[in-house]
Amino acid sequence: MKKFAALFLTVSMVCGLAACSSNSGGGSSDGGSESKDEGGSDGKVAINVIAAQYGQNTKTWWEDFVKEFTTEYPDIDLTVEVESWNDIYTVVNTRISNNDAPDILNIDVFANYQADDLLLPAEDFVSKETYDKMYPAFLEQSNVDGTIWAIPDLASARAMYYNADILKDANVEVPTTWDELTAACEAIKKHDSKIYPWGIDMTTDEGQAAFAYYTWNNGGGFVDDDGNWILNCDENVEAIEYAIGLVNDGYTNSDPANDTRYDLQDMFGAGQVAMMIGPNSIPTYIADGGYSINYEVAPIPTNGGNDSVSAGVMDRFMCFDNEYSDAELDAIKTFFDFFYEDARYSEWVLMEGFLPATSTGGEILAKEDESMASWVDIVGSCNFYPTAKTEWDDVKQGVINAEQQALLGGNVKELLDELQAEIAE
Amino acid sequence: MKNKTFRKAEPYIWILPSIILMAIFILVPIVFVFRMSLSEVSKAGIIRGFSGFANFTKVMNSSAFKLVLRNTIVWTVAVVVLSTVLGFILALMLNNEFRGRKIARAIMVFPWATTLVIQASAWKFIIDTDYGTLNTLLLRLGIIDKAINWTPTAGAYFTWEIACGIFVTIPFVTFCVLSGLQSIDTSYYEAATVDGASYWQQLFQITMPLVSSSLTVSTVLNIIYVFNSFPIIWTITKGDPANHTDTLVTYLYKLAFYNGKQGQAAAVSVIGFTILLICASVYMVYTLRKGDD
Repeated sequence: MKKFAALFLTVSMVCGLAACSSNSGGGSSDGGSESKDEGGSDGKVAINVIAAQYGQNTKTWWEDFVKEFTTEYPDIDLTVEVESWNDIYTVVNTRISNNDAPDILNIDVFANYQADDLLLPAEDFVSKETYDKMYPAFLEQSNVDGTIWAIPDLASARAMYYNADILKDANVEVPTTWDELTAACEAIKKHDSKIYPWGIDMTTDEGQAAFAYYTWNNGGGFVDDDGNWILNCDENVEAIEYAIGLVNDGYTNSDPANDTRYDLQDMFGAGQVAMMIGPNSIPTYIADGGYSINYEVAPIPTNGGNDSVSAGVMDRFMCFDNEYSDAELDAIKTFFDFFYEDARYSEWVLMEGFLPATSTGGEILAKEDESMASWVDIVGSCNFYPTAKTEWDDVKQGVINAEQQALLGGNVKELLDELQAEIAE
Repeated sequence: MKNKTFRKAEPYIWILPSIILMAIFILVPIVFVFRMSLSEVSKAGIIRGFSGFANFTKVMNSSAFKLVLRNTIVWTVAVVVLSTVLGFILALMLNNEFRGRKIARAIMVFPWATTLVIQASAWKFIIDTDYGTLNTLLLRLGIIDKAINWTPTAGAYFTWEIACGIFVTIPFVTFCVLSGLQSIDTSYYEAATVDGASYWQQLFQITMPLVSSSLTVSTVLNIIYVFNSFPIIWTITKGDPANHTDTLVTYLYKLAFYNGKQGQAAAVSVIGFTILLICASVYMVYTLRKGDD
C-alpha cells in the first residue's frame, strides 16, 4: 500500500511539475482560424494587433498610436499587444493553435502562416494608395506564387563599422577585400593584443547574418537565381572557412557562439573591438550607451572581385484570415492607412533608429537627415534573407549549427553538404 | 441513510475543486502534448493529422538528440548529487549552535529567493572573459596579468552552468535536511555519547537514518526541478555551441519556437516526461522499501 501511495505521489508530482514547466504549449486545433466576433456589444468594430517590441520606445509609441487612432475613429476598438522578440513566436503560435489568431501581426516571418492558408493577400487588407507607397523590392520579399502576402513595416541594413582611431594608430587602411581585412587584423593585433580586431556573432540569435555577410560577399548565398537552395556551394564553403579562420587565428572576439550582436556593440563602443558588421542603428546604440568613440561606416569587405553586398533585414505586417465582414476589413484598411500616413510613419521608423520601407517615408527621412540618405540608398539595394520560403526556419538554424560545429573543429564542407541534403529532403 | 451516504461522499466533494483544477491545468495540457507528439503539426502549430511515432523516430535519429540526452543526464546527476552532498554538510553546520546562526541561515535563503534568470545572468556576468567581474577582481588583486578565458570550450561552459545549478539548489536541500535534523530528539545523541559513539558513528547510525525521509523528498523534487530546469542554461548559453550545452528542455524549446517543429518538440517532452517518471518512481519506491526493511 505504501509503495502504491509512493508511486501515486511520484506520478502526481512529475505530472504537476512537468505541466508547470512545459513551454511547448498545450493547445492545438484542427484548423486555422475561427470566425471573428462582430465587435463589441456597443457596435464597435474590434481589431486586435500583435506587434513586436523593437526597443524601449515601442510600447509607448503604440500606446500613443492607439489613443490617436481611437480618437479619430471612435467606432473602431483597436487593441495592440506588444510582445518581446523572445516571446512573440510563442504567443502567436499558441494563439493560432487555440483558434485565436490575431487580426494583424507585426513580425519578421510570414511563410509558415501563408503555407497553412492563414493569411489574406496584402491587396485585400491594404488600400491601393497605401500599397503603392511600398518599395516594390520590399514587397517582392513577401511574394509566394505571384501573390504578396505581407507588407513591410521597416527595415535595417548592415555595413562595416570601424574605430577610426584604432585603425589610424595601427597604421591600417580601411579594408575593402578579405585579404586586406586579414592584413588589417594582423596589424591591429600586433599594435595592441588586448583589442579584438574583428567582431563576429555566430549565436543562435544572429548566426544566419554572419553566414549572409561572408557568403553574399563571396558570390554565394542561400539561394541561386531560380530560388533553389545552394547552401553547400563552393563559394559558401570558402566564405565560412574564411570566417572560422579569422576566429582560429585569434583575430575575433573570444566566443563568437555566445557573444551576441549587443555584446559586440558594447565592446565596439568601449573600443575593445576595432571593426564589426552591424545595423544602421549602431549610432543610436552607441549614443544611448554613453560611448564616445571615433567611428566610421564602410561597405562590407568582399572576396574574388565581387561587389560589396549589404544585408537587409525587413519586418512585416500580415493579416490573418479571420473571416471578416466588410466593416471589419474596412477597419483594418483604415488602420494601415493611418499607420502609413507619411509623418506618422516617419516617426515610427525613427523611433528605434530603423529605415523606412516606403518611398515617401524614405524621401522625408533623406531630406531631414543626410546620414540617413546614404542608408536609405543602401537599404534599397541590399540582399534579404529568403524568408518567403517555408524551409527558412530550418535553413536559418541549420547554418547557425554548421557555423558553431565549425567553431568546434567540424569540417565546413561536410557540414554544409549535410545541411543541403537535409533541406533538400 | 441519506446522511450516511452524504458522509461517505463528503470528503470527495471537498477535494472535488482541487481535482477539477488539476485536471484542467495539469492533465489536459499533458494529454495535448501527448496528442501533439503523435501528430503531424504544421510550423504555425496546426495539427494536420495522426502521424504515429514519426516525430519520435525523427528525434531519436538526430545526432543532436543523443548529445542532448547525455547532457541532460550529466546535468541532472551532477547538480542533484553535488547539491545534496553540499546541502547536507551545510545543514549539519547550521544545526550547530554558533554566534550569528540566524544571519547565516538568512543568507542561505538568498540564492533560493532570487529568480533563476537573475542568478544565471549574474553568473554569466561574473565569468565573462571581456568584462566579467571575476577577471576584473583577479586583475586588480594582481593575481593575473591578463584576462583569462574561463569558458574556452563548450565543456567549460557546461561546467559553469552546473556550478550555477548547484549554487541555486543547495539552499533547498539545506532547509529540507535542517528541518529533518531539528526534529531529531537530542536524547539519541546523549545516549550515544554515553555509550562512547564517535561523531561519525552518530552521523551514520542516528542522523542519516532519521533524516532520510527529508532527503528523499528533497532529492525527488530536485530530480524533477533540475531535469526540467530551463532558465540557467538558456540565460547563459542558449544551449550553444551546436547543442553542446543543451538539455532536453532547452532543446525542445528551440525545436518548437526556433525550428517550428512542434510535433518533434512534443515528442522530446514526452520522452523527458517518461524518463523522469521512471527515475523518480524507482528512486522513491527503492527508498521507501529500504525504510520498510
